[in-house]
Amino acid sequence: MGRVAGAFLVALGIAGGAQAQERLIVDGLLDLRAVHADTTPSYLNGGLGRVRFDDDHEGLRLGRASLGARLRLTDTLGATVVADAYDDGDVNAIGVSEAFVQWRPFPANSIRWQAKAGAFYLPVSLEHRLLGWTSPYTLSASALNTWIGEEFRVLGAELEARWLGAASGYRGDFALVGGVYGWNEGAGVVIAARGWALTDRPSVVFGELGSQRLGLYYQFDRSPGWYGGIAWRHHERLELRALHYDNRADPAASNLAGYSGWNTRFNTLGARWEPVDPLTLTAQYIEGRTAIGPNGDPGQFLMDLSAWYALASLERGRNRLSARYDRFSTRQTSGFYGPPSDDAGHALTIALMHRLAEHWELAAEWLRVDSRFPPRYWLGLPAVATDTQLQLAIRYRFRFEAD
Amino acid sequence: MPLPDPDSNGRGWALRLGARATIGVLTSLFAMSAAGASGTDVAVTVATAKGAPVAGVALVLEPIAAQTPRHREKLSARMEQRERHFVPELLVVETGTQVDFPNNDSVSHQVYSFSPARHFQLSLYRGSVHPPIVFDTAGLVVLGCNIHDEMVGYILVTDSPYHAQTDAHGSARIAGVPAGRYRVRVWAPRIADAPASLERQVEVADGAEVAVNFALLKPLLAAPTPRPGRSEWDAY
Repeated sequence: MGRVAGAFLVALGIAGGAQAQERLIVDGLLDLRAVHADTTPSYLNGGLGRVRFDDDHEGLRLGRASLGARLRLTDTLGATVVADAYDDGDVNAIGVSEAFVQWRPFPANSIRWQAKAGAFYLPVSLEHRLLGWTSPYTLSASALNTWIGEEFRVLGAELEARWLGAASGYRGDFALVGGVYGWNEGAGVVIAARGWALTDRPSVVFGELGSQRLGLYYQFDRSPGWYGGIAWRHHERLELRALHYDNRADPAASNLAGYSGWNTRFNTLGARWEPVDPLTLTAQYIEGRTAIGPNGDPGQFLMDLSAWYALASLERGRNRLSARYDRFSTRQTSGFYGPPSDDAGHALTIALMHRLAEHWELAAEWLRVDSRFPPRYWLGLPAVATDTQLQLAIRYRFRFEAD
Repeated sequence: MPLPDPDSNGRGWALRLGARATIGVLTSLFAMSAAGASGTDVAVTVATAKGAPVAGVALVLEPIAAQTPRHREKLSARMEQRERHFVPELLVVETGTQVDFPNNDSVSHQVYSFSPARHFQLSLYRGSVHPPIVFDTAGLVVLGCNIHDEMVGYILVTDSPYHAQTDAHGSARIAGVPAGRYRVRVWAPRIADAPASLERQVEVADGAEVAVNFALLKPLLAAPTPRPGRSEWDAY
């Protein structure tokens, strides 16, 4: 038994000998906004507006206060916890958005394994490249990745096998990734009730979203959901990703609390190309469906969804200028519950990020969303709406390290 | 990208040298000191098909008929990490060289290689905390960082003391080479040409400088560029 444990510790890298550096890293982010919004009421405030703030929630706002801790348990095993506050009336003032352990052993050959367990983001976004799931390009995420941040958090485990090309003379790698998870059977309710949105307000684990308190993370049965994906990085210039997601929820399940099983599946495809250093071109596409109600029942609510965006970003010195075009739609194909959840729209985002000093960053973003969504009739609003939002942000980042 | 072969000839010389240690070392030391005084220079240039010089290319001269003389003193070298890049990207060392891996970045690295010529792992570190690694088998050692997959470096380990790297003009010169037949090899990770076209045989005679020019057929592969502001990117 002791020998087995010993072998396990060696495998984890505990017996590596040399002292591990940066045993604890704490990253903090304080993001304050000056907001001008010309919108219908935001979905976060009970409306169906597609941006984070609205006419009654503008002026000086908290963008996000975030504290992330990374603890290195052994040379190859680490733990990450990120806590966020948004000051927008969430159930809890502070919530945990990520909490996981990650094991990444040294590669013994061209295949490098990595395992994660806990709560973490689905590996979909090509925008959120920075700690705490923030983007170097814009303040508000694309419609596609806003949804990924809102309704999907892996509460489970992920395994990745990555073929490292360097030893074969190829500058790049190729990865297969797969995950299993639970508590994702509510995923679909937000996109069905609201349509697509563009925000930087992801959900927290076991949190709810907006003043309607849409519950997201619950599980009816013992069947876990899964996802599988592939990723290819070529010469540090090109990255392609594809992923299939299926939460395997029973659409017939519901409980007295009013929660239903949302059977949601989708496919995503993404590409990032950096042909020359200052220029980044990114595009992602998603198509899928969500359903509640027994299969075969003509009353089943069934909705197809799709979205894509294309982003171009130019970096020059301390400045980064980005422009993004989003296009999105949902289409209800069965069930009758009033005006159909047929969403059709597009959005334009222009953002300028400026590194002010070592810890300080300024950002300005203009965002306009045009959408047609018949369920707005419920609120006495016309189906067609334009939401425009201008934000100025000042961000302060700090880090604390302990060996 | 062609990789040099594991240099079975070189290993053969090393074994033979071990068998005839005393005489072998004496003659090679004599050969080297004699060469230092009166040996011949071998000058090599490497240029692209369009004539642009190629810097940082490894040049190795391997005696074909004679034994490879060996350095007896301790050789040491450094492979730094700076702005998430190995510096230099390519290091040429003689077998037996001990190499330090100082990390000058503010982020930690986890340097490793699983190349047959030298398998090693350095647990997470900043600065210089690990003792040097000795490279005692000829061949190419590809380096990686387990934290930053985009970091790739190379250590070319050779049994021959006659090695150099091209300068900004694409030129390299090895002075004091004793007379004899040699295999001249050049290699760099960015060169896409077939290994056979990167090898020549030359006859070195006393007094007359030997010039070897390599004109590459294929364009160079793209060079990685440091992106210092991105040390925390792609956390997802």
